[in-house]
Amino acid sequence: MTSPVAAWYLEPVIIHLNFLPKPGETGAGEVLAALFELLDQGRLDPELLPHLRLHLDWIQYRANFREPVTVRRAADARGERMALAELAVDLRRAPRDRLIDELGGALAAVGALERGTDGRVLVDDWAPLGDSSIWQFNRLFWQRLADWERHSGRGFEAALPSGRSDANDPAAVADAVADFWTLLVELDKRGQLPAEIFALEIGVGTGVRAGRWLDRFKAIDEARATDFYPRLRFLLADYSLPTLDRAMSAVAAHRDVVSMIATDALNPLRALSFLRYKILYVHLTNVYDNLPVDELVRRDGRLYLVETRAYVPGPVARTIAATYGVGPDRLRPTIARLLETGPDLFGDRERGVAFWRAVWDGLCLEERLRYLEGTADIPLPPGLHGDDLDELLATAPADIRFHISRGAVESFVNTVPLLHPRGYLQVQDIFVATMDEYRQGFRGPGKLDGSVVNWVNGALLGAVGARTGYDVHFAPFRYRPGSRTSILYTTLRE
Amino acid sequence: MAGQYLPTAVVGSYSMPGWLERAKNDFLRRRITAHDLEEMHDAAVKAAIKDQEVAGLDVVSDGELRRDNMIDYFATRLPGVELDRGSKASYYDFYDSVVRNRMPMAPLGLVEHFRFLRRFTDRRTKVSVTGPHSLVKRIRNQYYPTEEAFAVEIARIMNLELRELVRAGAEQIQIDEPYYSGFPEDLPWGIRAINALVDGVDARLSLHVCYGNRYGKPSWEGSYRYLFPAVLEARIGQITLEFARRGSEDLRLFKEFDAPFTLGLGVVDVKTHDVETPAVVAERIREALAILPADRLSVNPDCGLLHLPREVAFAKLGAMVEGAGLVRHELRG
Repeated sequence: MTSPVAAWYLEPVIIHLNFLPKPGETGAGEVLAALFELLDQGRLDPELLPHLRLHLDWIQYRANFREPVTVRRAADARGERMALAELAVDLRRAPRDRLIDELGGALAAVGALERGTDGRVLVDDWAPLGDSSIWQFNRLFWQRLADWERHSGRGFEAALPSGRSDANDPAAVADAVADFWTLLVELDKRGQLPAEIFALEIGVGTGVRAGRWLDRFKAIDEARATDFYPRLRFLLADYSLPTLDRAMSAVAAHRDVVSMIATDALNPLRALSFLRYKILYVHLTNVYDNLPVDELVRRDGRLYLVETRAYVPGPVARTIAATYGVGPDRLRPTIARLLETGPDLFGDRERGVAFWRAVWDGLCLEERLRYLEGTADIPLPPGLHGDDLDELLATAPADIRFHISRGAVESFVNTVPLLHPRGYLQVQDIFVATMDEYRQGFRGPGKLDGSVVNWVNGALLGAVGARTGYDVHFAPFRYRPGSRTSILYTTLRE
Repeated sequence: MAGQYLPTAVVGSYSMPGWLERAKNDFLRRRITAHDLEEMHDAAVKAAIKDQEVAGLDVVSDGELRRDNMIDYFATRLPGVELDRGSKASYYDFYDSVVRNRMPMAPLGLVEHFRFLRRFTDRRTKVSVTGPHSLVKRIRNQYYPTEEAFAVEIARIMNLELRELVRAGAEQIQIDEPYYSGFPEDLPWGIRAINALVDGVDARLSLHVCYGNRYGKPSWEGSYRYLFPAVLEARIGQITLEFARRGSEDLRLFKEFDAPFTLGLGVVDVKTHDVETPAVVAERIREALAILPADRLSVNPDCGLLHLPREVAFAKLGAMVEGAGLVRHELRG
């Protein structure tokens, strides 16, 4: 909800209250009291107040790229400061005892174009979120997964909120197989079932889901004597070869019908163009939430693109210097080398992985809001038309911060051409199904182990789907109470 | 003499400009007037004609750019079809349309659009109409006892319009029936409806059958074998089929069956942005020439170019014309 509060100096400050307080956490009243205290101490600039917004949001991932108190300023196309400023407080982590100082420091920084030196080390330059170096960290994680897991002592699925992947849920897998089998029977009845039955899993995880799916499919096929299984061509696709190797061992019992293929989830069509219009079933789990995303903000009818730059906070930089002998002046180039060459950079892989993890754990994002003249200025991914965005914005809440899930859109438009005319796509992920849901809090990005995780704009995918000939639907994942995932599935748009 | 072989043409539609899509949606949402939209249609059609001429096509169309889609252009014109005007979210969607009573006879107004085309080109022209089978699959029938009866009634009404087109100078008329491929079991009555449609129509008549191009993707897959031998009964002069995307295997059907019509050979894949080279086009024509003589072949894309960006559509037409030219040159020896 959005709630204007009483005016200071005759001007309102907009406070966005999007959280449910929990015992022990800092409360909204304490933040307001701290602000009043700052006001009484003369530490608040009255000219700032009419343009200041205070955001007290529920934040999905406790591990994220924000410090407990952050400030976002608006800038025009040349980088010149504009009036709008936002102060965002993560109440779960906001330090009650230092609240006044934290808020005061952040608000003091609002007035300056660049923050004062607080020891933070910038890792990259201002750029849209989708171009941030966090995505290079993300890629490194999947390429060097085994190194990370060995060092952390746990598999990556253990980092999921439930400690395991919903994708592997046996009942969910059984239902997915049943739906697919029904389609095959219908096609077979009409004499339209191809000789080879192609199914594709993009983003294979541990391979457990694929293994269970294949076990179930084979069992149904044998029980009903449909003889589909020998015609099945099940493709495991992932851009991480170590992940593919691991998944292949999980489906060893089905080796005759399974192939693996190195594929970029952003463009499966590139590697699989020979299967255009041939695949009857494509499935992805927790892939879209791991693809680059941009964010847009609309305030007072104006649009802004969220630009970020990654940094290592001063205290973390000092700890890293003490532990790894990499001083603040050498930290940025050393991180660049890590992202380029991997964790062998010290000639000692274990030490390199430890350095990597320390940097990642501490990594934060500064944000600023870059003013856009209109939707024509928005860098749109292929497949998304400005008209569609205009239509979505026409029905969206007036004040909104939302995702341009450019990686997910790109993946979607480069996947559906693989579908057989009667085929369908299923994606299990964390979706924001309607623009209205963006009212309910700040939705990422977060950290999941060494990877990036972010909500996916389902409404945007709906618009893109309509243009490509598919209606997009979302069904809640009903197999585990409390699961935040849902299942996107496509149906043909006639 | 060989120069007259292998005439080139579009199947019907040309690339839909993004600005025209926006205008169509704006019209749907009552943001612009019908007059404004018609002016834009006129401009877009003139540009489409010019592109086809510059690409070197022998036969040109109006690019079908006035049409929302292949169904609604006719559903909105056929007398007795009731439309739910609120049923579209986008211009390209199909209206929810229904026939509840016997359809009266009335003109459809296609002649006016043909005359516009005729006014802006000296090339040979082609007019495409959606066939009765495809229309029956999209317009709900609550009056006629069977789909065939409904289709024949539509054919009877549209027959008068085709005759009017001929009177206005139309020489080449194409009937589009993509839904055959989704409902092959309907073919016997589908052909009877075609014959009712073309009865007494004195023009070069062609039948276009593809595997669908809705949203630029196929709606079905399979083999053209289902068409034979029933399609041999169709009173048409040409059948236009897609081969570029699907491969040339079905060409053998023309060896197997003694077809009384010529073949419009699809040599350009309209479902990919990759532009064929003239050499590839020429090779596809040569494959067909191994089965049919040159005087029984025309050259065209697999289907309409509606979903391709203009620069891609234009380049594909250019490659098609050049490829056909290469083979013509060989035929001249």
